[in-house]
Order: sequence, then C-alpha cells, then structure tokens
Amino acid sequence: MLDKYKCLEKLAAMRRDEVVITTMSVAAPWAKLSDGPLDFASVESAMGHAADFGYGLAMAQPQRRVIVLNGDGSMLMCLGTLVTIAQRPLENFTLVITENGTYEVTGNQPVPGAGIADYEAIARGAGIERVCTIDNDHDFDENLSSHFEAKGPLVFIWKIARATEPVPRPALPIRTRASRLRQALAGND
Amino acid sequence: MIKAHKLLAEIKKHGITHVVGVPDNGTQALFGRLWNDPGIEVIVTSREGEAFALASGLYLGGKRPLVVIQNTGFLEAGDAFRGTAYNMGIPLVMLIGYRGYRSLEPDAERVDTAATFFEPTLAAWNIPCFQLRSDDDLDRVSAAFERAAGTSSPAAVILVEESS
Repeated sequence: MLDKYKCLEKLAAMRRDEVVITTMSVAAPWAKLSDGPLDFASVESAMGHAADFGYGLAMAQPQRRVIVLNGDGSMLMCLGTLVTIAQRPLENFTLVITENGTYEVTGNQPVPGAGIADYEAIARGAGIERVCTIDNDHDFDENLSSHFEAKGPLVFIWKIARATEPVPRPALPIRTRASRLRQALAGND
Repeated sequence: MIKAHKLLAEIKKHGITHVVGVPDNGTQALFGRLWNDPGIEVIVTSREGEAFALASGLYLGGKRPLVVIQNTGFLEAGDAFRGTAYNMGIPLVMLIGYRGYRSLEPDAERVDTAATFFEPTLAAWNIPCFQLRSDDDLDRVSAAFERAAGTSSPAAVILVEESS
C-alpha cells in the first residue's frame, strides 16, 4: 500500500507548471503542498466530475499537462468518462485514481465494489492503452516522472492506505478559483 | 422545423469552438452538419453530466463550447450542471431538445413526463430560456449568448421543434 501523503509530496516536488485537479480526500493535503492558480480543488463542485472537467481543460490547453487526482468513489460516479477520454486521446492528460476502497471524507464507508473492481481492467476495457497500477514505493518512484512526461492519456491507479481526512474546505469559493484558473491559463491555449 | 444550416450559422456567429453533448432526434440534423464542419469539434459524451463538466474545462482553458443535449439528459445532469457551469460562473449556452413537448397539448394521448418536469425545473433553477419554434426565432440564439455573457451564467436555448 502507498501512503498518499508521501505520494503527494513526491508529486508536488516534481511538479512544474502543470494544472493539478484534486478531489475529496486529496484536496486538503494537496492544498497544504500547493495552492496556487493552477491548483484546482474540485470541491463545492459536481461529485464525480473532476476527470471530465480536467479532460476539458487538457483539450483546451494542449501544450500544458493536466493531472487529475481522482478518488475511486469519485471515479465510480462517472465511469463513462473513461470511454469519453479514450475516444479522443489527449497526450497531455494524466488521470490518477487513488484507490482506498472507501468514501474517506464521510467516514470511510466502503465504495461499491471495494476490493472487487479492477480499475486497471476497467480503464483498459474503456480503450485507454497506457494504464498502470502502483501499490508500493519502489514502483511509485519508478513511475513518478511518467505522470508528467509520458504520452497520454495516462491512467495510474494508486493503491493507497486508508486515512481519515475530513471534508475539504477550500479557502476560496469555487467561482473565484475558477476565475483564477482561467486567468492563469489565458493566452496559453 | 428549424433549418439545421440556419441554426448552425447562428451558432457560428458566436465563435463556438466545440460542441459537447449527446445527440437526440431533435438535434440529429444539426449534429449531421456539425460533424461535417471543420471549424467546430464535436465531442460526444457518455452521459449529459459529463458535457457540462467537460465544457466548463474547455471554457476555463480558453475555448468557446456549446452544450447540446435533450431535456431528459438535462434532468439527469442536474448536479453536474449545478456544480460546474453554474457554480463556476461560466457563460455557457446549452441547446436543449424538448422531448415530449407535443404531449403537453390538451388532446395528447398520454403525457411524457420529460416535458412535464422540464420547464418547471428550468424555472426553479432560474435559468434564462430562449425557445426556438421556427426559423423566425433564430435570433433568440444570439439573445441567449448575450444573456449568458452579461450575467456570467449559463443560458438555455430550447429546441421546441426538431432541426431538419
């Protein structure tokens, strides 16, 4: 199992000018590492729609990498997005599914299919070619740079240990964060 | 009937770069023209809620998307619409096919509940609507774009009659 906090620290250390979209149990820990205009917490937003939102950003900004850190519960709410992503592959799009098997911020209730669903098989079955499941530090370190540099669309499944993050509360309202992101990306499409 | 080529011409006046959504019978002719238009990219999504999230990302990234869906899909996509385009303050125009409109007529054999709930839902959510019943109404497309831009909020164009 991976420690998500260590994974996020390593990701943040390598991150340059990529857009990073976060959800639920990853949003607050990521904000402690980075909370600038290119960091967008998909909070106060639509449940399950971070991956498709980030995919739209990546389509509009082909010169810039977009990394979505999605939870397994969030991914389950919009699995069809994997097919949408596969039909129009974007080289600059990286989707991470952090798999802990629970809805962490509401008390770690199990998600449907916890321990049964195979997200790598689902992503491959949707038509995405480059998919990788990571469950140990060695493999994480080996694949870290690929998150930023490999040709997308990429799907990484991080098998993470359970934790107890509360519901994230971003410092700024979503409308302000959206406006800030648009301004940061202006002129770069 | 709404002439699809005229509707497309109205849409193109507003610099649309992407059409995102799910086709239905009412928009069939419009999609047929869109797929042959090199100036607009069409992204068909797996479900209508995705269309709002994807279009919101496109807009924040500097593009000009239009969402095209049926009213059934709009009802399904409620939280996606609320949480992305609405909450983010995106001047997104959505073209929505009106399934069941004729079932609301007094002599209809049976009512299609897609129509029953559609306009009350739009009203409850305070979404400005611009209905297209014939080619004479096509200037309402521009009115919807102007309303969306002026309020930094989504606006709906309702395709009461099918495109042909």
